[in-house]
Amino acid sequence: MQNIKLLSAFLKVNIQMALAYRADTVVNILLNLMWLGWELLSLNIIFSNTTTLGGWGIGELIALLGVFRLVNTLMIALIWPNTEKFNQSIRDGSMDYTILQPVNSMFLVTFSRITVWRIWDLVLAVILIVVGINMAGDVTTPLNILTFILLAITGTLIIYSLWIVLIAMTFWFTKFDNNVTILQALLDSGRYPATVYPAWLRIIVTFIIPIAVATTIPLQALRGELGAGQVVLFVAISIISFWAASIVWKLGLKRYSGASS
Amino acid sequence: MFLIIKRLWQVNWAEQWQYRANLLMYLMYWLVSPIIYLAVWTSIANAKGSVNGFTANDFVTYYMVLLICDQVTSNIVIHTFGYKIQDGSLSGELIRPIHPMLTNGLVNNIAFKALTIMGLTPIWIILYFLFKPDFSSVSMTGILLAIPAMIMAFFIGYLLSASITALAFWTTRIYSVHEFYFALILLFSGQFVPLTLMPPVIQNIAQYLPFQLLIYYPIQLILGRLSTEQIIQGYVMSFIWLGVASLLFNWVWRNGVKRYSAVGA
Repeated sequence: MQNIKLLSAFLKVNIQMALAYRADTVVNILLNLMWLGWELLSLNIIFSNTTTLGGWGIGELIALLGVFRLVNTLMIALIWPNTEKFNQSIRDGSMDYTILQPVNSMFLVTFSRITVWRIWDLVLAVILIVVGINMAGDVTTPLNILTFILLAITGTLIIYSLWIVLIAMTFWFTKFDNNVTILQALLDSGRYPATVYPAWLRIIVTFIIPIAVATTIPLQALRGELGAGQVVLFVAISIISFWAASIVWKLGLKRYSGASS
Repeated sequence: MFLIIKRLWQVNWAEQWQYRANLLMYLMYWLVSPIIYLAVWTSIANAKGSVNGFTANDFVTYYMVLLICDQVTSNIVIHTFGYKIQDGSLSGELIRPIHPMLTNGLVNNIAFKALTIMGLTPIWIILYFLFKPDFSSVSMTGILLAIPAMIMAFFIGYLLSASITALAFWTTRIYSVHEFYFALILLFSGQFVPLTLMPPVIQNIAQYLPFQLLIYYPIQLILGRLSTEQIIQGYVMSFIWLGVASLLFNWVWRNGVKRYSAVGA
C-alpha cells in the first residue's frame, strides 16, 4: 500500500519534470512513431520474401514486436534513468539518503525515476499485441492468451531481477558503471523468434542474458507450444530469481560505506 | 602540421585507450544487430533454398563483410564533439590555429576506430569459425578497389555527421536529428538487408543518396558482385558526395561559429 502511494508520488514528480520539456516530448514521440514505421516496414520486407520465419507468421511477429516493445519500454523508461541516478549516488555518496528512508531501498532505487512519456509506448505495444494475435487468429485459445500474459509478466520479472543483480555489483566495484550496457546490447535480439538463431546465440539470450525469456517464450505460449510443466518452471524461475536478486541486493548494501573518508 | 597531427594522435590514442572497457561494451552493442539480421536471413534462405537469388552463404558473407565496412566508415563525432559546443568547452579549441573538427575531432575518431578494429579482429575470427562463410568470390582487385572507396566513404560520413553535430550552434536537439539521420542510414545504406531485397522505391531513391556508399557499395566491391560500369558509377557518386558534404560542412560550420557565444560568457 505504502509502495503504491510512493509510486504515485514518483509519477507526479516525474510528470512535472517532463512538462518542463514539452517540445522534447513531442519530438521524442515523433521519433518513436518513425521507429515503429521502420519496424513494420522491416517486417514487411522480411515477409515479402517469405511466408514464415522459423515457422512463425507475420501476425505472430507483430505480436512479438509488441512484447519486445514492452521490454524496451522497461529498459528506457525505468532501467536507464534509475541506473544512471544509482551509479551517480554510489560515486558521490548520496546513496546515504536513500538508505535512511524507512522504505525498501531496492524499491526506491528502481522506481524513483520514470520517463513518463514512454507510457504511451505501452499503449502502442498493447495495440501491436492485440492486432498481432488477431492476425494470427485461428491458432490462439483463451487459455493460451492467459499463459502468454502470465509468462510475459514472469519474463519481465526475470529481467528486472537481473537488473538488480547487475546494479548491485556496483557496491563491490564502484567503477562498474557499464552495468546495464550488456542488457541493452542484447535487447535487439528480442525482435525476432530466438528459434531462428544459431545455437550459441540462442543459449546466450535464453540463459545468460535472458531477453528471449521475456519475448520469445511468452509468444511460444501464445502459439500453444509450451506444456504445463514448462509454464510452471518459468514461473518458479522468476520467483527464485527475484528472491536471489533481493539477497544479492542486501549483501551489496552491507558493503556500502558511503563515498567520503 | 605533421608534428601537430602526431601529437594529437598521441593524446587521442591515450584518451581512447583509457576507455577500453567502455569500448568493448560499445563493440558488443554494435555487433548484435548485424548478427541478428544474418541469423534471420540465413534461416529464411535455408528454408526456401534462396531468397531472390541470395543463398544462405550470400547472406553470411554479406553481413560478415558488413561488420568490417561499417566499422571503417562509421564515426562517433556527435558523441565526442556535440557536448563541446553545448557546454562551451569548444572555446579553448577555437583559439588554436587548427580546425577543431577537421584535425582534433578527426584524429580522435581515427584513434577510436583503430582501437575498435583491434577489438573486432578476434571477434570476427571467432564468427568466421562459427558461420564458416565461403569467401571464394572475393578477389584481390575487389579489396584494392574497396579501400579507396571506404576511405572516401568514411570522409563523406564524417562530414555529414560533423554537419549535424555543428547544428548544436543553433539547437540543443542534435541527438534527435542524429536519430533521424540514423534511420535514413538503416533505410538506404543496405545495413538491414542487401539493397536489392528492399522495395523498388527505396532502391531507386538509395541510388542517389550517399548512404549506400557507406555500406552497400564497398561490400559489393569486396564480394566482387559489381560490373565495371557499376564500379565507375559508385566512384563518381563518391566524388560528387564528397564534394557536396565538404561544401555543406563548411557552410554550416562557418555560419555556426559566427553564432557561437560560449555558455557562461
